[in-house]
Amino acid sequence: MIRIALGRTALGICLALGVAGPASAQTLNLMKGIDAPHYDAQRTTWGPTSDIVNMFQDTLVALDWDGKTPIPYLAKSWTISEDGRTYTFKLRDDVSFCSGKKFTADDVVYSFKRLKDPAIKGPFAWRAGNIKELRATDPHTVEYELEEPFSELLLQLTMFTNVIHNKESVEALGKDYGIKGADGTGPWCFDHWQPRTEIVLKRHDAYKWGPSMYKNKGPVKFEKLVVKIVPEDSSRVAAMMSGQFDITHQFPAQFITQAKAAPMLTVTPAKPNFQLLYYGFKTSRPMVADRRVREAMSIAINRAEIAKAILLGNADPAFTFVDPEALDFDPKTKGIVKEDIERAKVLLDEAGWKPGTDGVREKDGMKLAPKIYFTANANSARVAEAIQGYLRKIGIDWRLQPWDSTISSVKMAEQDYEIWSVTVPYLSAGDLMNIYFDSANIPTPNRMNWKDAETDDWLKQGRSALTESDRAKYYALVQQKVTREHLWMPVLNINMDQVASKKITGARPHMIYQNTFYKGLDVTR
Amino acid sequence: MSADALETGFVPERDTGVSRAGVLRRLARDHVAAMAGLVLIGIVLAALFAPWIAPYDPYFTDLTKVMRAPDAEHWFGTDNTGRDIFSRVLYGTRNTLMLGLVGAIVGGFIGGALGILAAYYRWLDGWIMRLVDIMLAFPAILIGLAVAAIFGAGLTAVVIALVVATVPDVARVARGAAIGVMGQEFMEAGRAVGVSDRELIWRYLTLNCISTIFVFLTLRFGQIILIGAALGFLGMGAQPPTAELGMMAAQGRDFLFMAPHIATIPSCAIFVIVLAANLLGDAFRDVLDPRLQT
Repeated sequence: MIRIALGRTALGICLALGVAGPASAQTLNLMKGIDAPHYDAQRTTWGPTSDIVNMFQDTLVALDWDGKTPIPYLAKSWTISEDGRTYTFKLRDDVSFCSGKKFTADDVVYSFKRLKDPAIKGPFAWRAGNIKELRATDPHTVEYELEEPFSELLLQLTMFTNVIHNKESVEALGKDYGIKGADGTGPWCFDHWQPRTEIVLKRHDAYKWGPSMYKNKGPVKFEKLVVKIVPEDSSRVAAMMSGQFDITHQFPAQFITQAKAAPMLTVTPAKPNFQLLYYGFKTSRPMVADRRVREAMSIAINRAEIAKAILLGNADPAFTFVDPEALDFDPKTKGIVKEDIERAKVLLDEAGWKPGTDGVREKDGMKLAPKIYFTANANSARVAEAIQGYLRKIGIDWRLQPWDSTISSVKMAEQDYEIWSVTVPYLSAGDLMNIYFDSANIPTPNRMNWKDAETDDWLKQGRSALTESDRAKYYALVQQKVTREHLWMPVLNINMDQVASKKITGARPHMIYQNTFYKGLDVTR
Repeated sequence: MSADALETGFVPERDTGVSRAGVLRRLARDHVAAMAGLVLIGIVLAALFAPWIAPYDPYFTDLTKVMRAPDAEHWFGTDNTGRDIFSRVLYGTRNTLMLGLVGAIVGGFIGGALGILAAYYRWLDGWIMRLVDIMLAFPAILIGLAVAAIFGAGLTAVVIALVVATVPDVARVARGAAIGVMGQEFMEAGRAVGVSDRELIWRYLTLNCISTIFVFLTLRFGQIILIGAALGFLGMGAQPPTAELGMMAAQGRDFLFMAPHIATIPSCAIFVIVLAANLLGDAFRDVLDPRLQT
């Protein structure tokens, strides 16, 4: 009996160890909490696609560690015409795809034409600007002509949406492109993907064109990169603590303190990191149509308490829509959201919402009980609940409606609710303002249904500004207007931490679009 | 006890010789049942009078007092938004019991009606039983998840799932009991003197099957509560700030290392309720099921 028990125990241990596989010195083991629907970067806005795509495909320009500066990558240099409409990129001549095919200007032209192809329905195609024409003037020169100037083009070209594709790979794989494979010039090559389980990448041996931000220009130090999907928070904690994985950027926030105390782990925050958790108001709904009601909700909460108690210090209170460190942040927006629960009550009184018999405010027979949509995950639910608690104190009954991540974007595109919440990663003030506040983006992502000619005009002028100061000026005007209108309730700037095994060195977390690993060129064991 | 075992055990009520007072006397003689009954009564009373017993507003958050361990001020401690867990357990018990009762009553009513109709109208039997088989093929949790995915998480999703989970078993039990009654002479006599179908179904058939269905539902009650709590745990049930024991346990799951009381106290409450309900259900079966009477 004892022998059988020992045998079973040994078998159990072997199986447990086998879950992550033996930690080969040549294999880097990463862990994520959520998988992507596919890995074709042009067809999605999905964050979990972006980090993997950045590993096996490259952009013309890379984003430096400061989160603001585009630096040469596949394009070794560029010039911009005086009217700001034509960019001439000089490409590297030593780059090749994983398949062995040489990278040329034709690949750049093909990639952006595909991105703008209506059949692709690229949700982030706007990030490449309003392209008039792309010309490959020689094998290593591309003229990128725009219909109108786009002041943030270089910054936007660092995004995963704008990676360079190999036409042969796209055509050969057809509908399976980004699912069964995808060719790229990145430091890692797509090997295989088992949905919701793992994606395996292999070293790109020819890679030697790493951007200047990395010491190692390539190739990477590991033969293989295995990215496992572990959805359950506690399982990710246990897996990191037991040394089954080398790196994760999705370590549950509530356990970061334990990770910091663990002798085998290193916790490194991504700095800077622009990720705003906010609540947006659907201005077309009667309950939140009045600016005073929106402001009352925004100033009745205590963000510092929420950051400390709910996120356990893994977030900072957000009083502005744009992070003060982000490009084109307007300092004048700093004093607009001032927490003051007594003033919140006065604003609601002025707006005609009077306390009912059950303590919930009413107006014209309608209770002030807005419906709140958000994606069901631990942090969103906890923050929503905390805010719900604050607002009960001023007579507002938030009715929380979490949705599963598979359906939340569809539900949020509907119109029969008042408030929604998401955590949005962004690059700059212009990035955030253009996505959400342009009336062309109604009904989503402009879910506020904010249609304002002045805002649209300033956004257009900011986008087409020829100087940095002009761009900053117009984006500042937009920030001031939408903040004064309290179209959003900014709550927290969410921290993003990379948790790595102490055996790993050189893993500096990047911030681009919730993607800490980026190229991972300096990572060694 | 399984539905199959109950299916074959019908004896008309008048033959059991078990009066209401007799049931209570026999329950009182069974010490375990008596204890379970007292605990359940205590729980029900605490839930009913929660607004008067609870020392704090169960929805009042205080982020300066989050995850406090049990002490004199907060007997069960506070949760991750600083709410008093004792007050929330009282209110949560109320919602959990309500879910169980609604599931048992509505599911029992629909299942009982289907079972009796299947036994009385033999041409309906095949259709109803196949429908029941289909319903049995879907686990309640899966139904709850599907309903929540379509209509959104909430008590409605849980109630639908609990009803769907209860109906098929009750229908099978009711059908078995009704088929037994259908073979009795008084049914034949009723038909012979021209009693209408409605009368036969209600007075002759249903009233003679009720005790069997009741016994089965008492046995099933604990399980219904458990399924409801599981759906709450998965986030498909009551939404914040409403207190519900399964949801409260789930909220504490991520803080097991830091504040184990947040998850364990509501879990213990579920355990006690289900245990008491099961023990009492067993005792009811012993008293009301004539095959077990000696």
